[in-house]
Order: sequence, then C-alpha cells, then structure tokens
Amino acid sequence: MRSQKNIHRLKNWALTGIVGLLVSLLNPVMAQQERVLIPAGSFHSILPEVKGEPISVDSFYIDKTAVTNEDFLAFIQENENWQREKVPAVFTAQNYLQHWQESLNPGFDKIGENRPVTHVSWFAANAYCSDKGGRLPTLNEWEYSAQLMDFESIQEMNRFSTELIGWYSSVDAKNTKAVGSTQIQNRHGVQDQFGLIMEWVEDYKPIIADELSLDCGTVGRLQQLGNIYSYAASIRYITRMSFNPKTTTGMVGFRCAYNIDHPESSSNTQL
Amino acid sequence: MKVSKLMLSTLFGLLFTGLALAQTAEYTLDGMTFGMPEAEVFTEDYDGPPVVGEYVTMLPNLKPLDYEGNKHHEVRIDIIVQEIEVAEGVRYRAWTFGGTVPGPVLHVKEGDRITFYMKNRSDEEVTITEPSKGGSPFMQQVAENNYQKNKPGIMPMPHSMDFHAGTVAKDDKWRTIGPGETIKFDWIANYAGSYIYHCGTPSVLMHTAMGQHGVVVVSPKDGYPTDYEVDREYVVVQSEYYLEKGPGELYQYDFEGASNRQPSHVVFNGHQTIMHDQPLKANAGERVRFHFSNNGPSGTSSFHVIGGIFDRVWIEGHPFNEMRGMQTVLVGASGSATLDMIVPEEGKYILIDHEFADAELGATGTLKAGPKQEK
Ligand SMILES: [Cu+2]
Repeated sequence: MRSQKNIHRLKNWALTGIVGLLVSLLNPVMAQQERVLIPAGSFHSILPEVKGEPISVDSFYIDKTAVTNEDFLAFIQENENWQREKVPAVFTAQNYLQHWQESLNPGFDKIGENRPVTHVSWFAANAYCSDKGGRLPTLNEWEYSAQLMDFESIQEMNRFSTELIGWYSSVDAKNTKAVGSTQIQNRHGVQDQFGLIMEWVEDYKPIIADELSLDCGTVGRLQQLGNIYSYAASIRYITRMSFNPKTTTGMVGFRCAYNIDHPESSSNTQL
Repeated sequence: MKVSKLMLSTLFGLLFTGLALAQTAEYTLDGMTFGMPEAEVFTEDYDGPPVVGEYVTMLPNLKPLDYEGNKHHEVRIDIIVQEIEVAEGVRYRAWTFGGTVPGPVLHVKEGDRITFYMKNRSDEEVTITEPSKGGSPFMQQVAENNYQKNKPGIMPMPHSMDFHAGTVAKDDKWRTIGPGETIKFDWIANYAGSYIYHCGTPSVLMHTAMGQHGVVVVSPKDGYPTDYEVDREYVVVQSEYYLEKGPGELYQYDFEGASNRQPSHVVFNGHQTIMHDQPLKANAGERVRFHFSNNGPSGTSSFHVIGGIFDRVWIEGHPFNEMRGMQTVLVGASGSATLDMIVPEEGKYILIDHEFADAELGATGTLKAGPKQEK
C-alpha cells in the first residue's frame, strides 16, 4: 500500500502545500481548515442492524486533517464559554484541555500547535464545528470515508488491519504526532483517520448501542465483512460507543464535516 | 437554524449521560444472597493509591483471613496503564487492574460482601512503585519487589470488571466505563473457591491478553479439612501473552497470535522467570497449598509439580469437589484448583504446565524446599 503510491502522495502533498501557501498569502486572516469532497456512495457497515446491506451516504465535505491545538485555541479565544475555566460542567469532564499549560496558552513547545487537539468533549467538538459552519461527521460518513482506501490486495488490507489493531493496543497518548504525519489517507486525500487519534462523530452511540451492550460476543457479532478489516472497525465502534458526551481523553479528537449545500463550504475546497 | 441543530444534538448528548437500570431487591436462596443494588457510575477527583483493601496482596501472597464470621470489604482496584517487563528484554504497555499483570489477589470468605470501586485512570499517569498511604498490602509489596519494572503510561480506553466470584447481571455491575469514570457496585462471594476476574469489554480477547485479569480467593466458611495442617499458602496464576516487536523499543499486542492461539509467552505470575528468580519456599515435611488459577485468556493448563503428588485437590476450590492423589490437574481457561502437596524431602520442585509446549514458552516455576524442621 505504501510503495509507489507514496510518491504520488508526496507530489500531491507538495502541490497542496503550494496551493495552501497561495491561499494563505491571499488571505491574511488564518487559513481555514482544508476540506475534501467525498462523493456519494455506499459502504458495508459492521453494525448488525443492516446485515449485508450497503449503506448509502450522500456527498459531503470533511476536513482533510483533525482539528489542531492551534485551531482550537483560535476557537476558544473567540468563544470564551469553551475556555477551560469557563466551560459549564454539564458539557465536559473535569480534565477538559488538561494537558494545556494555561487556559489560553497551550504551551505549543510541549504539545505542538500542529498536533490534534485532544481532551475535548463531544459537546466542545460540536460547538467548534458549528462555529465553522459545519458539524461533526456522522458515524456512517466517517466510516465510509475511512473505508475509501485503496489496497493492492487482500493481503495488503490484512497487513494494514493487523498493524492497526496493534496500534489500537499500543497508542502512546503522551506523544501524539502532528496531523498529516501518519502517511495514511483515503483515496480522496483525507488523512490520519487511522493511526493518530480516535475521533468524535455526531452519532457515536448508534441506536443499537444499548442492545449490543458491549458484550463479550459483540466483536463476533460485528464481523459482518468476515475479515480482519472489520475486526479493526469493531474496536473503533466499541471504543466510541463507550464514551459519553462529556468524556475528554488524550486519544480522542475530531474533525468537522460540512453539508454539500452549505454556502460557506464551496469557497475553499480541494479540487 | 444553525443554533437549533446544535441544541438538538446537545439534547441528544445529554440524554446519554443519564441511562438508568431498574434496581433489584436483595433476596436469599439456599443460604446465598442475590439481588445487589444498582451499580453507580460517576466521576470523582480521586488520585490516591490505585489499590485499596486490607486483604489485597501481590502474587504469590495471600493475606490470611483474621476475622470471625463474615466481613464487609471496601475494595478499590483502579484501571491503569503500565509499561511492564514480562520476560528478559520484553516490555509492553499493559492494560492493568492495579498496575501488575496479573492484577492483585483479593482474599475474602464465603458469604462476605464486597463494595467495589474502580476508576478508569487509563488517561492518567499512576505510579505504583512508591510507598503510598492508605493503600493495600499490594501497594507496599510492589514497592518492595517491582519485578515487572513498572513505569506509568497513558492509553485511554474503555474498560470493565467481571468478577467470576460474583453473581450479578453483567449489563449493570460489569458494565464498561470510559476513561475518567468510576464505577461502584456490591457483590457477595456466594461460592467458595478461586475465581478469576477480567475485563469484559470487547474485544475480551484483546483486553484480557493485554493484562486485565487477576484472582479472587474465596475461602470456604467452614474451611477445607486439612486447614490446620497447612504450613504455607501460595497463589499461582498461569496466563499467556501474545506479543510481537512493535515499531519502537516496546512489544505490542499480536492480533494474529492471539486469534490463532499462538502465545509468545506462557507464564506463571505474569513473568517468564519470576518463579525461578524468586522461588516459592517450603521445608521438607510441610503441607503446601497452592491456589492455582488459569487466567488464559485462551489456553488450558495441565498443572503438575515435578517430584510431588497432590495429596488433596479441590476442583475450582470448592470444598465439596475433593479429589486425592492427582499427578496432574487439568485446568481450562478461567478455571482453578486448590491443591495441597506434602513436600517429600529437601530439594527443588518444578511447577509446570505439563503441556510441554507451554512449559517451554515459560510456564514453569520452582518450589525450593529446605530441610525438615522440628515443629
Ligand atoms: Cu479492558
């Protein structure tokens, strides 16, 4: 998967970088998060409610990378309610942004402006995306985008999934890397859906979550695709399902999605 | 319109913060107590010792029960991430109960009530190798004998606790809690014996193999027939690791190995050589009791002591399940046995899983016997 394609990716990367630079020169205000258009399509969910049936997903825009510490700082500078000292207790657990040095000074030298913001509750993530004219991606949108990966063979996919399961069991939440650093992206250029952090989605606790109740047998029930790729997916679903919207942890961040008809979303998108 | 959508999803989110289950009333049947109060899940500021409780020890110790009748225990075993050594040069970031793999041993008596607290501190660095105030004997023992060479780590994940020694509804008491949450629930040790505990959050294979398991020893209220002759008691836990070299220095979970039941290490008390480095001690002529538990997650054990025959064996540790004169005791995953052995003479006795493939992956230990003592 990483072989020749990486070269294309690097070229893409360079191009995007130049475009990004031009955009930021033209736009003296902070450059907006880059968005990627995901065309409509369908994918196989691992949830048992839809046995074997592909789920259709309408086209949408999604952030290319997760929201960074820098992005989030800018947000709370303008939205005081979401600052560490001011955030209402119903919207977050106590350790909201606890790894930041001070309320309005993350201490970038230690935690990195380009690293994904973590220790943010689902409520905070929602508020951020809403402020940007977007929303959190739905669970299906997120998973659909994540499945748009090009593997050269089943073996490649299995190897990738095995590594991914290894990653889920060895995350080092103290040393999160910068966004865009995993070199993992889907075919439309959405980066780091794997291997960096886990991410909030709008309906992270699907209707059937209670029925599944996170039993020992849940992993077995979620093996709809009958392969190791769905095993890795089941770890994601299960982990997400057991958060509550106030949860703030060192391995959960987010990115935003935007409706296709939204006027703000058409101005600054990748072609 | 933008605002109303946000409000809607906010409401949706708030709904999830308060899911409740119906409460059950307590009742007794056949001398046992069932129907525990509903578990409570909450957040607390607690940052004290991760293991609390008078009768909670580190393997292979068992704290003797020094009380008459039944007792109400308050026990805490927090979930923490620790980088540990499981064999020479093999370190990985373990998901643990209390900081070691296996977790601490809890000793109670048949009929005891346990009020259990567990905070999911997987996104906090918790040091367990320094003496702490208000902890259990376990904390002191780890500080004195840090054979897994612990270092704190952070890996926030959802987890749960499933005590096989308890008889409750799993969707209440054994429910999964997220990082930062605490669960509190009661259970009664209705049955005597040795019982494993483990994390029941899917994937159970992954969570258990990552290190989340331990043992509760429930001593029978009327004891075993040979209690007055027992000189020493040890807890021995067999388990498997499925590890492969990760991208850095550390090892990590080997999904394929775990799925195909191909362990990298099979060990006693969580470390490949600990039971040779620190052999169990006894003297010729003594009656030694082993509380043996096979915590798996997936392997069976044919437990044997080279040079010994088990004088008495209580399968699962229940006093009614008595067998005598056993050479090898077959213990399936999450099974146990309480075994008495008379130490024949001065010398070395090897504890072993007689499934030799497992023995050669590490499932061996030493009982070192000194000369016969005058009593
Ligand atoms: Cu767990």
